[in-house]
Parts: sequence; C-alpha cells; structure tokens
Amino acid sequence: MPNNNRSPYTPMPMRVLRAYYESTDRSLKTLELSFENFEDRKAFFAKFNPGQFCLLSVAGKGESALGVASAAWEGDFVRFTAQKMGTVTKALHELKSGDPIGMRGPLGNGFPLDDWKGKNLVIIGGGCAFSTLYALTKHVHHPDNREDYGKITLVYGTRTSGLCMYKHDIASWHEREDMEIHQAIDVPEENWLHHVGYVPDVVKEVAPSPENAVAVVCGPPIMTKFTLPALLELGFLPETIFTSLEKRMKCGLGKCGRCNLGHKYICKDGPVFSLAELNTLPPDL
Amino acid sequence: MKLILPKNDLPDQLRSWRKEFTVYLPQKLERFSHFMPLDDANARILEQPHNTRIPPKALFLPMTEALVKFTRFGTYEDANMEISPRIVFGMRPCDAQAVQLLDTVFEQEQYTDPFWVKRQEKTIKIGLGCHVPCANGFCTTVGYGPFNKDGLDVLLTDLGDSFLVEVLSESGKTLFENLHEASEELLNQAKEIQNKAHDAMPIAFETENLKEKIDQNFKSDYWDEVSRSCLGCGVCTFLCPTCFCFDIVDEVQRQERVRNWDTCMFRIYSLEASGHNPRPSRVERTRQRLSHKYAYWLDQIGLIGCTGCGRCVSYCPVGLDIRAMLRQAQSLPFEVSHAE
Repeated sequence: MPNNNRSPYTPMPMRVLRAYYESTDRSLKTLELSFENFEDRKAFFAKFNPGQFCLLSVAGKGESALGVASAAWEGDFVRFTAQKMGTVTKALHELKSGDPIGMRGPLGNGFPLDDWKGKNLVIIGGGCAFSTLYALTKHVHHPDNREDYGKITLVYGTRTSGLCMYKHDIASWHEREDMEIHQAIDVPEENWLHHVGYVPDVVKEVAPSPENAVAVVCGPPIMTKFTLPALLELGFLPETIFTSLEKRMKCGLGKCGRCNLGHKYICKDGPVFSLAELNTLPPDL
Repeated sequence: MKLILPKNDLPDQLRSWRKEFTVYLPQKLERFSHFMPLDDANARILEQPHNTRIPPKALFLPMTEALVKFTRFGTYEDANMEISPRIVFGMRPCDAQAVQLLDTVFEQEQYTDPFWVKRQEKTIKIGLGCHVPCANGFCTTVGYGPFNKDGLDVLLTDLGDSFLVEVLSESGKTLFENLHEASEELLNQAKEIQNKAHDAMPIAFETENLKEKIDQNFKSDYWDEVSRSCLGCGVCTFLCPTCFCFDIVDEVQRQERVRNWDTCMFRIYSLEASGHNPRPSRVERTRQRLSHKYAYWLDQIGLIGCTGCGRCVSYCPVGLDIRAMLRQAQSLPFEVSHAE
C-alpha cells in the first residue's frame, strides 16, 4: 500500500532537523527534515531518485512543491531549500529545528540516471532551481556511483554571490579532480574569481562537448529558454538535453489538473523531460 | 436480463430500496432539478426531458470535501469518510459515461484516490435513457448516445406506462427481483424508441481530424476569436460532468485540508508564486479547456473527454456555444501526420 496506509493526500509526519539561511539576503532557507516513522523512511528511500520533489505541508497554511536537494547517501534526512515567496514558504521560513512538519513524496519521475550511465554529465543550473541538480551532483559524487558516469561539467549561475546556495560544499568542488566547475554571477563583484555573465553565455564560453554527453538544465524560465538553443548549437541532440519543469501544483498526483502540459502532467509524468519530449508537447509554459 | 417495471410500482420500488440504500434521484429545487436523497414524502419522478443542472459527478467528487485532518501534535490524519450504500436513480447516459471517464483519472494505478473509489464501490447507478432529445445535447456527435450503457448498472427505457429495465451488472440484478421478463413486443417497442431518440440527435460538428487541428493550431488567432466574448465565469467547467480539477485549501477553524472544485477558466488557477502565469488571459484558458476535452483526453485514453451533455451551452451567460466553436475549429488548417 503506497504512503503507508495513508491516503495519498495525507502528509507523513516529519521533524525539522536543521534550518538555516542559505543566502545572505535571507530569501532562501534550507530545511533538513528527519522521519518520525521508520516505515516512512524506508518507503521514501526505496522510491527516491534525485530530481524528484515533495510537497511540504504546514497545517493551516497549505502545501508547497519543493525539489529534493539531498542524495540518499547523505543520511536519513531530506533537504529542501525554499525561497520565501507566498504563504507556505513564508511559514517554512519560520520553522526552527525540532518543529513538526508534514511531507508527501517523493513525487515525480526524477532524473533518468540509469539511462545516463556511462555518459558525461553537463549540469547547468541557475538560481534556487539548482537544488535538484545539487542532489544529482551529490548522488554522482558518491564513490559507489562515480564510476558509472564520465566527466562532470557543472555551470552554476546566480544573480549575486550571496545568492549562491550550498556555498561551502560547492567551494570544495573546485578542488575536485573528477569535475569541472564554472560558477557565474550576473554582475561583477569584488573578489569574485569566477565567471561574470548570464548562464547561456557562460555555457557558450565553456562549450562542453556533446560527445557521449547528456546536459541537464534547471533554472528560471528565461535562463532555460536561452540555454536550450545554446546547447543545440553546441551539437547536443534534443534527446540528450533534459530539463526539470515547474508549474503551480496542488495534489502532486496528476489529479487536480493544473500542471498539465498538453496531455502530460508535470507532477506525475515529469518534472524531468527531455527536450525531444517537450518538442512534442504544446508550449503551454 | 430485460424486465418490465410498471410506472405505478416505481414509488413502492424506490421506498423498498430505502431500507438498505440512500436513494438519490433528480428532484425539483426552485427552477432546476438536482440529485437529492429521497425522503418519506416524495417519490415523484421528474418527467422532464432536460438533465439536472449540477451533474451527478458531484455525488462522486463533492464540490467540497475534507481530505486531511490536522491533529494537535502537528501531524496529519486521513479525513473520515463514512458512506452508506447508495442508489443513484435516473442518471442520464451522458453523465454515467462521464463518471466512467473520470475513473481513468481517479483510479489510475500509480495513485488511486481512495475517496473516489469508496464512493464508486458503494454506488449502484440506474440510468434513464433520453427518449426525448434535449435541446443542447450532442452525445451522438462525440461518439456516445441517448441510450449509452457505459458506467451504468441498470438502464431504463421509458415505454409510456412502464420502464424497460436492462440489467447490466450483478449489483443491478439484486435490485429488481420480482419483475416480469419483457415481452418480445415491448422489446421491439423499446428498440424503436431508442433508435428514434438516437436518430433525432443532430450531428453538431464533425470530429474527424478535430484533434489534429486543435493540436496543430496552438498559436492560432482562432483562440482569440472564440474566447472574445468569454467572461471567464467558469460555469462551463463547473457544470461539466467530465471536469475534475480541484483546489486544495486549508480550513483553519475546522482544522482540515479540503478540496474544492476548481476551474481552468480562472486566472489564479495556474498563477505561479513568481507572478508568472502560463495562461494569463482567457485566450489561453479557453484553449486549455477545449484542447483538454478534444485533444489531451484523446492522447491519454483515446476517447473525447466530452460526453455531449450540453450544459456548457445551456448555462453560458453570454451564449458561447462549444458546438459552434468546434465547427469553426474544423476550418483550421492541418497536416496529416505520417508518424505511424
């Protein structure tokens, strides 16, 4: 029985393990949640795959769909980074370590990791949409998984250096020999040693090779819009370009209707789609 | 199994079912008829050609329904849903077909909706065929018909003084035990009535290649034209028997999470937290409504997601007519795909 004998609309009980601001302007907050029930934990990790999302629930406020920003091997917790936008995310920002919270998930398809085995990964992220790509990178970094994939090229852009998420961990990635990392900010800042410019331009500059590679793009719509043609120009085929989509969601189960893209539901059939798939769907985004 | 139920016996029949079931049947409420539980006083069948205003999907997906209860400890429980066995009497074939279409949404393998399933399991549906064609219906156009049997346990045909009772399922069989078999003559009479009703329904528009035309003209001015007089009130979706979209909101005083019917015709339906809206105007929203019914449903299950009940036509405050919109869509350019 899915969802451990609960209705699929009923969140599982979770507890905030750690809560901390992710960006210097305090618009992004990371929550690490631990499971209250052993059974829920087991069911979650049996199904979890980077690229999936969960619905976080604050009683009386509602639910919000957030991508999982942790890999399974990191521990018995699930990480999310929420931008303070509306009622629910504002309530999420008020949570402290030890507070109860509800969660439904994991939902959606996640990244097709098995299909990507043996390939080079080009990971391109912008802003807070980088969270699921962080989960992907962490997953691939684990020694058990690292050999399954080739070279990793990471491009991560934010508006300012203060908005860069998971700073300390990402800073350490520059030392890694098994990956190439390019960080970018939109406007110049003092002491910034990396790229300055928009992500699509950085991608063109870095020019990752399409040979035996897949590209994953997650970012704000405007970034995605200009990055996809840049990748095509570099020689990536639509079948090897993947992106994770977002739309307003309520149920997360393909029932409430609103996140459809043609006959597909982003919550149930996505959120990860290849560009080849998207080309067959109406541009209703 | 085909039986005969004299109309005079119907009130007693309905009353006898009430011992074990809650019996819903259309009853007049102010100007419109509604499916309501039968009470002691009233066992009158509405002899009217038109359908209820609110479709009986409301008996399976209520307009508002609690899904989750909040506990004092900051955790969540399934909302209680107790439901006694029910009979829905006098469901029109278009509405029964619609409920069957919605099964594909709520009973899909991956995520089954327990609330929907429980209501379906506890319900016996007795349909009443439409021997008099309704004003705005177009069931035969979309591939169904006034005596369509899909989604029903029993189908009744009005023969004047009696009903022909066509039993279609085991659960339907248990309801009619002491009735006589229909004579050959009455069966022929029923057949004739059914055929006549079917032939009396005009073909409102052509459905051939309609999906391709809708799919391929996503960016056409057509959508602007057909949505121009739309007020965005959403009644077409609210009263549609195949519309199933819902919103989920928290009711703080009741300490419950509730789902309410929602509509793609509203701006906030798809409005995102960032302020971005994929369907910012009624043009995109009208496109979504029509495309969903006449293209996306076909992609999903190979059937048109409209059963031709005609409610959206009857109740639109500005007289927008989906039949005329689709007739106009038939003149859109398209290419035959050679994919297969």
